[in-house]
Amino acid sequence: MQSSVSLTISGLWIERGERDLCKDFSFSAQSGEVVRILGENGAGKSSLLKVIVGVISPLEGKIVYSGEDVTLDRNPLQQDAIYIGHSVGVKNLLTVAENIRCYCPDVSPETLDTVLKQLDLLDHIDALVRTLSAGQLRRVALARLWLTEKTLWLLDEPFASLDVGAIALLEERIQLHVSSGGLVVLTTHQDLRSLSCRDVALLS
Amino acid sequence: MTYTSFLVSEFLLIWRRKQDVINVLLFFIIAVTLFPIGVSSSPEFLASAAGGIIWCAAVLAILMAVEGMFKEDFRDGSLEQWVVSGLSLPALILLKVVAQWLAFLLPLLGIMPLLSEMLFLPESSFWVLIMTFLLGTPSLFLIGVIGAALTVSLRQGAMLVMLLILPFYLPVIIFSTLAIQAAEANLPYSGQLALLSAMSLLSLVISPFMTAIAIKASAS
Amino acid sequence: MNWTWFHKLGSPKWFFHRSKAWALPLFAVGCVGLIVGLIWGLVFAPADYQQGNSFRIIYMHVPVAMLAQSCYFALGVAGFVFLVWRMKIAPIFIKAMAPIGAVMALIALVSGAIWGKPTWGTWWVWDARLTSVLVLFFLYMGIIVLQKALDDQVLANKAVAVISVVGLINLPIIKYSVVLLETLHQGPTFTLTKKPEMPSEMWLPLLVCAICMYFLMAGLVLWRMQSEILKREYRSSWVREEVMKRGL
Repeated sequence: MQSSVSLTISGLWIERGERDLCKDFSFSAQSGEVVRILGENGAGKSSLLKVIVGVISPLEGKIVYSGEDVTLDRNPLQQDAIYIGHSVGVKNLLTVAENIRCYCPDVSPETLDTVLKQLDLLDHIDALVRTLSAGQLRRVALARLWLTEKTLWLLDEPFASLDVGAIALLEERIQLHVSSGGLVVLTTHQDLRSLSCRDVALLS
Repeated sequence: MTYTSFLVSEFLLIWRRKQDVINVLLFFIIAVTLFPIGVSSSPEFLASAAGGIIWCAAVLAILMAVEGMFKEDFRDGSLEQWVVSGLSLPALILLKVVAQWLAFLLPLLGIMPLLSEMLFLPESSFWVLIMTFLLGTPSLFLIGVIGAALTVSLRQGAMLVMLLILPFYLPVIIFSTLAIQAAEANLPYSGQLALLSAMSLLSLVISPFMTAIAIKASAS
Repeated sequence: MNWTWFHKLGSPKWFFHRSKAWALPLFAVGCVGLIVGLIWGLVFAPADYQQGNSFRIIYMHVPVAMLAQSCYFALGVAGFVFLVWRMKIAPIFIKAMAPIGAVMALIALVSGAIWGKPTWGTWWVWDARLTSVLVLFFLYMGIIVLQKALDDQVLANKAVAVISVVGLINLPIIKYSVVLLETLHQGPTFTLTKKPEMPSEMWLPLLVCAICMYFLMAGLVLWRMQSEILKREYRSSWVREEVMKRGL
């Protein structure tokens, strides 16, 4: 893991359809921080994450990652980032293990077992994802956070459809990640219990 | 995600969804049988038209196969993950097309002897038919995915893909049937085969990039 | 070289104000010229020694067929410009141009059929040039339908640009491939390098018709683009000013 990373966004202008989501939006964050994006429904929290990771192009603005301008080519940032959106990119017709192996091909069977046990998915390791519940499906996607070594995490509503135990587990994992030099940007409507974070408001 | 793990899961998905391949195959056979029943069942007519009939049916079947290729990926958020994976999007698309091409083409070639027998295709031109399929279908798949990617966000996109893409398939059909006709007339057909390969190579150069633009626009 | 004009072209506002004065004159010149050319061709030009008076449909058919092809070329170029420079005006141009091109291709097909009946004795033959115009018509329809089907403006812009570029690359191949089918059609009337084979009393009015058709179409496209710009930019203050000042 890189020793220290930073993310600086300046003068960001995002337009979706006919609406301006944000104009001249700026913030910066570095290793060891959890940044929570606040805003009403439709304020553009998800879009902001998508812009950072490069799914959407902003109209204007500059994105700098660890001193490198990635506005035009987001590749250096993507190499070092995990993005988990609303639709998590988990395949219905693959099993839990196959799904995880698609994203983390190098993981050893033992590590996989340990992590899946923590996430309470071990019994379903060879079940098709189609047969799982919404919360279990999200946990399959979140397993990536335990199994890959990426510094920047961009999590869009990571706590959605998780039960209390899983929320606590995820908060713990995020805490561990930032304390070892990671950077997490997330959006959520839930109150964070144990996790301390810095709030950034997105005003339309 | 790596290119290998992506390809492995694509093959796994095709295997889990083998019914799709079977459906397309059945459609292909039914479409071919329409011609002897609907036009004429005389061996002379069929022998001269066999190449064209098989190619027209194949074009429709392939378009059916390609049309919904990214639908599931769009719905479950995989498209987004491809875009942000840090891997080259055109390369991922190309891998997926290659996987699909193999999955559909091999069974298609497998039933070709049966169909050419049913349509009284002269034995001498059978191998030319196979050659046109091997050289021509990559271009069909590569052009087809552009349409599939453009319409991925629409609920009912199948008809639109047909409208959009079928005109582009015309040259492939023309070159292929000309090659088969030339073979039947004992004329050289290497020129047409070369043209087919050229079409496929050109599509190989253009299509992944165009599809990537369309995928990126659809994923956002 | 100074490229500011090129970048300014990307701004709908700049384009709107610049092009406003052009649409009507272009359209008027085109209209008047076309009428003059048509009367010249239909009344004063000599009859063909083989085809008699039926050849006079050429004064409609050829300009329209030329336009149908040039329009598609323009679409492809606009699509390319949009994909490379993200110029906002390009998809507006495509949206404005595609229906005009489709209508041109359709008129070319219909007038060709009407001409074909007395000359070849049949409304339709599967000849190379006829088929390629038919395919051209399908390509136009594809663009129009795609544009209509996609609600999201950003996606629709990208999508039509992609399909226009792919069409532009494929059009020569399609045309070449149908040439391999047999051809009945006479050769092109105008080429850049040779003098037309017709007598000048015959081709001069044709040239006038063709050129004026381009003017007419340029005027039409500008008009359509301007109204599309107003529609797309209705939120901006300059559009409101424009509408308040001059009315709709």
